[in-house]
Amino acid sequence: MAGAASALFLLDIKGRVLVWRDYRGDVSAVQAERFFTKLIEKEGDPETQDPVVHDNGITYMFIQHSNVYLMTASRQNCNAASLLLFLHRLVDVFKHYFEELEEESLRDNFVVVYELLDEMMDFGYPQYTEAKILSEFIKTDAYRMEVSQRPPMAVTNAVSWRSEGIRYKKNEVFLDVVESVNILVNSNGQIIRSDVVGALKMRTYLSGMPECKLGLNDRVLLEAQGRTTKGKAIDLDDIKFHQCVRLARFENDRTISFIPPDGSFDLMTYRLSTQVKPLIWVEAQVERHSRSRIEFMVKARSQFKERSTATNVEIELPVPSDATNTNIRTSMGSASYAPENDALIWKIKSFPGGKEYMLRAEFRLPSITSEESAPERKAPIRMKFEIPYFTVSGIQVRYLKIIEKSGYQALPWVRYITMAGEYELRLI
Amino acid sequence: MAPPAQSQKSSSPSQPSGKGEVSDVKMQLRQLAGSRAPGTDDSKRELFKKVISYMTIGIDVSAVFSEMVMCSATSDIVLKKMCYLYVGNYAKNNPDLALLTINFLQRDCKDEDPMIRGLALRSLCSLRVANLVEYLVGPLGNGLKDGNSYVRMVASIGVLKLYHISASTCMDADFPAMLKHLMLNDKDAQVVANCLTSLQEIWGLEASTSEEAAREREMLLSKAVIYYFLNRIKEFSEWAQCIVLELVAKYVPSDSNEIFDVMNLLEDRLQHANGAVVLATIKVFLQLTLSMTDVHQQVYERIKSPLLTLVSSGSPEQSYAVLSHLHLLVMRAPFIFSSDYKHFYCQYNEPFYVKKLKLEMLTAVANESNTYDIVTELCEYAANVDIPMARESIRAVGKIALQQYDVNAIVDRLLQFLEMEKEHVTAETLVLVKDLLRKYPQWSHDCIAVVGNISSKNVQEPKAKAALIWMLGEYAQDMQDAPYILESLIENWDEEHSAEVRLHLLTAIMKCFLRRPPETQKALGAALAAGLADFHQDVHDRALFYYRLLKYDVSVAERVVNPPKQAVSVFADTQSSEVKDRIFDEFNSLSVVYQKPSYMFTDKEHRGPFAFSEELGNLSIDTDLANDVVPAQRVEENDKDLLLSTSEKEENHGSINNSSAYDAPSYDGSRMVGALQPQQDLVSLDQPPPANTPASLAMDDLFGLGLPVAPSPTPPPLALKLNAKAVLDPNSFQQKWRQLPVAASQEISLNPQGVSALSSPQVLLRHMQGHSIQCIASGGQAPNFKFFFFAQKEDEPSTYLVECVINSAACKAQLKIKADDQSTTQAFSTLFQSVLSEFGLP
Repeated sequence: MAGAASALFLLDIKGRVLVWRDYRGDVSAVQAERFFTKLIEKEGDPETQDPVVHDNGITYMFIQHSNVYLMTASRQNCNAASLLLFLHRLVDVFKHYFEELEEESLRDNFVVVYELLDEMMDFGYPQYTEAKILSEFIKTDAYRMEVSQRPPMAVTNAVSWRSEGIRYKKNEVFLDVVESVNILVNSNGQIIRSDVVGALKMRTYLSGMPECKLGLNDRVLLEAQGRTTKGKAIDLDDIKFHQCVRLARFENDRTISFIPPDGSFDLMTYRLSTQVKPLIWVEAQVERHSRSRIEFMVKARSQFKERSTATNVEIELPVPSDATNTNIRTSMGSASYAPENDALIWKIKSFPGGKEYMLRAEFRLPSITSEESAPERKAPIRMKFEIPYFTVSGIQVRYLKIIEKSGYQALPWVRYITMAGEYELRLI
Repeated sequence: MAPPAQSQKSSSPSQPSGKGEVSDVKMQLRQLAGSRAPGTDDSKRELFKKVISYMTIGIDVSAVFSEMVMCSATSDIVLKKMCYLYVGNYAKNNPDLALLTINFLQRDCKDEDPMIRGLALRSLCSLRVANLVEYLVGPLGNGLKDGNSYVRMVASIGVLKLYHISASTCMDADFPAMLKHLMLNDKDAQVVANCLTSLQEIWGLEASTSEEAAREREMLLSKAVIYYFLNRIKEFSEWAQCIVLELVAKYVPSDSNEIFDVMNLLEDRLQHANGAVVLATIKVFLQLTLSMTDVHQQVYERIKSPLLTLVSSGSPEQSYAVLSHLHLLVMRAPFIFSSDYKHFYCQYNEPFYVKKLKLEMLTAVANESNTYDIVTELCEYAANVDIPMARESIRAVGKIALQQYDVNAIVDRLLQFLEMEKEHVTAETLVLVKDLLRKYPQWSHDCIAVVGNISSKNVQEPKAKAALIWMLGEYAQDMQDAPYILESLIENWDEEHSAEVRLHLLTAIMKCFLRRPPETQKALGAALAAGLADFHQDVHDRALFYYRLLKYDVSVAERVVNPPKQAVSVFADTQSSEVKDRIFDEFNSLSVVYQKPSYMFTDKEHRGPFAFSEELGNLSIDTDLANDVVPAQRVEENDKDLLLSTSEKEENHGSINNSSAYDAPSYDGSRMVGALQPQQDLVSLDQPPPANTPASLAMDDLFGLGLPVAPSPTPPPLALKLNAKAVLDPNSFQQKWRQLPVAASQEISLNPQGVSALSSPQVLLRHMQGHSIQCIASGGQAPNFKFFFFAQKEDEPSTYLVECVINSAACKAQLKIKADDQSTTQAFSTLFQSVLSEFGLP
């Protein structure tokens, strides 16, 4: 079975303990701190940066969030995936409580931090990790806690992610269908890998215990219902649901039905591993003139339908680290040299489909290079963009029904957006 | 709220500073303790916060213990929490003071607010003071029966805490039985889950000493309990689901229908958003289907897609954990991901630890069809990205080359690396080319041409330098200026810091000398002289060894240093299959991340429910003492061997009649420094040492080459026919077993395939059943299994009974056979052994 964590540490960026909670009494803070500060000192060495490290009979697992490390220590053979995930949950919960998780917010709220650590893990075993539930009995503002506290209903009923008695004046649901496109193109311009990771992100502001039903243009469902599916239906690979979705029901008749948690959550994620045509294509020509000058000619072309428009396009082009004296011209948008990233960043606010824009840039290079210069890190061209009202997979929400026994009318708002995920073109 | 000065102070606990502040706080607390004025709680809260913040940054505030306890009389829950926290932190080191807190904690355990009851109980259980346990029993017992599930939830883990403070108190109060009742009846899923957690730990630890606990632990794996959990699985929180699934993975269903039922029920867990749940489900699927080869393959197909999604979505830490598991799976079933190799291409921004695992995956999934693409991608990393990544990529290319048959293209690629003239690339590549040449000597021609062009000055890393020197020595014949390169290296002997390189240099110059004596003689002399003067013991010894060897006889030297080499066909796998199976059994734990079974990285007392080996004592006690006796005998024999061999040495020594004292450093560890002790061993090289033959036989056995697989060289024709539908009820089996004498008793070796197929007792049972040998009882867990078999003659009711104890680690089986008809025992024994030895063979 999954072993238990011995202690949980929150450490600052130098590896010093900010707050720690001892669960089983077999790992001391001094020990952990000594180990971790040593680990951090070796930062330059990538070989030592694994998130799971064994030292002297103790396994440390850690993640970093802004300027804080969260770390568990354990002497048992525990479940690595589960504990690492637990640490991420911890981050989510802290963010829910303190807006931002960083050293300062932990210092300012250490009492709440202790309370949370106590409730989320007992004797090294994870307990409740839903921020919504925890906030029922651990209030942020300590002074408002005169009302006597009861353990929330949710802790005792079967719907552990939602408590009873939630009230909203206006009942609304926001559903965002977000698809991120991952693409990898090699130096010959071939796509060597592409996939789409989609998520249905929900924000619910609903009273009572609403029962929701979501219909998608899922091919299996539509075919099961005997409808024609030409062109409109999609195949979803490997769907994953939030724990609120009745999975057995989905397995039987592909209906997605659930009682949603309050607030925002990811209802469903999926992946499509079909070949995707790059939505924005970039071609770059680099000319080096006599070691002292380098010239870039970059063409960016949008390859989606004209009625869609990509927004906030940001193309990051790698340039030599010692470049100076830039001279940049663009046919659209603005470009600037970001020496801290050794990159040229070209921003285009709005990029309609079927268009092509150009950029020319010239850099000066020092004519003398040091003998000992480190080998060049050749970075790929990377890109960020968003295309609203568009999905690569063609997924569509056919309906979102909300039924609550009080019979209120709730407004569902659905939005689609496609974003660049890991979008890398190794073209230079 | 934290004091501003705290960041300057060292935060290491037990820092003896801040005395002034502490006594300040103490004064203020005292004033507040008795006060009932309005607003007292607010000021108390401020003070408590101060105390806690001092405690957090490591100032010892145990001095205010009694004041804190005095102030604890409050209805404010936050105040209470802070007070509990404080008490929990200092109670262990101040047991006398902790006694003060018992009173108010016990009182709070009876508070009307369930929240306070729960919190107080949790703190009470967390005190970890052994002499206070008596005060724990009452509140815990009440807590387990509390009407509120929050309190029960706390209490069910509280029992486990009590067990760790004082196991006997916990057992005497009969808490495990109460937990069991709660576990099977409570409405609240989290209470149930916590009961399970506690019981698993308690019974797991008790099982080694108490039979009852062992039985109770088995009970957890009974059909009724497992089904109870499976039916409620959806009620559990994601973490509790992991615990339940972990339990289910150990369950052994009675037939295949049951297996399919369980899998159908759990299928939807593969869609859970929590990666830990998905991995736990996968473990269940894999373990359940171990004995069903085709279904097992289907499982691999089914779990592929969820696993790939987990790799590419979520945090890098999750990818890391999942990739470790993928690597384990791909080692067992290389084909599963061979067409999905592109999922393991690295992204620019990924952390190195993820990239490294992805490279390992790429290496593992490479086969004839995808090698070209994979190697192309790897070459891209080698040329483009940062240095550690480049190194890993080159190593990956090398590994692929070593495991493929068609290496033509890969060798070209590697040689191109050498032409890139980047130091780290050259270094890594040289090491690889060396390994490649050991496996594929036929490529030497192409490789040597390129390697010959590398200037040794550009190679600085010891490993690479050693590889280059090895090639210079080995291929001295083909490399025009090998002697001269070696010579220049020897000239710089003093600047060479790595002993490894100097050792290689000695050997290389020897090899070179034996092939091209006139050109090398001078350099050899210089090398031996430098080696003899070397401060490093091994270098010195090797130089001396070569020197004497040459002096004794050059042709012997040739045979020692430069024997004809066979190409290495398979590089030694560093892990035995037993270890790998062990890791697989511990799927979804750190073992997979570390690629080591848990006993290698956890202390014994923390191994917990994972350790099986301790309890095996129970199993073999009733068998007989054979288990214990046999190793003892072996040890004795070994000792004799040892004695024999040393005495032989002595004799040798005597016969040579050397006047100087012979001092064998490896036997008594002492060493004569400086004195040139004669090494008689050298002399005996030309006559094979007599002990050699048995030793090599033993080696063969170690490697599982299966000498004793067929026990008797001429198996008699299997005249014995067994009844395929034999029946025997357990009672008559027991009766017979008691009545009959042992007709034959034997220890046999098993073939390694059989042992590796023996993942659970069921697999063997089916196999034996196929040969009309029925099992009546079985038990145990890797590496020790115990079986009782029986069989009947086809045409008469003559029964054979067998007790078979298999140790899969040692590949041994101990048989005890009893028979109605003693005369046919031998025939049956032979039949049984041959059936057993067929197990696992395709």
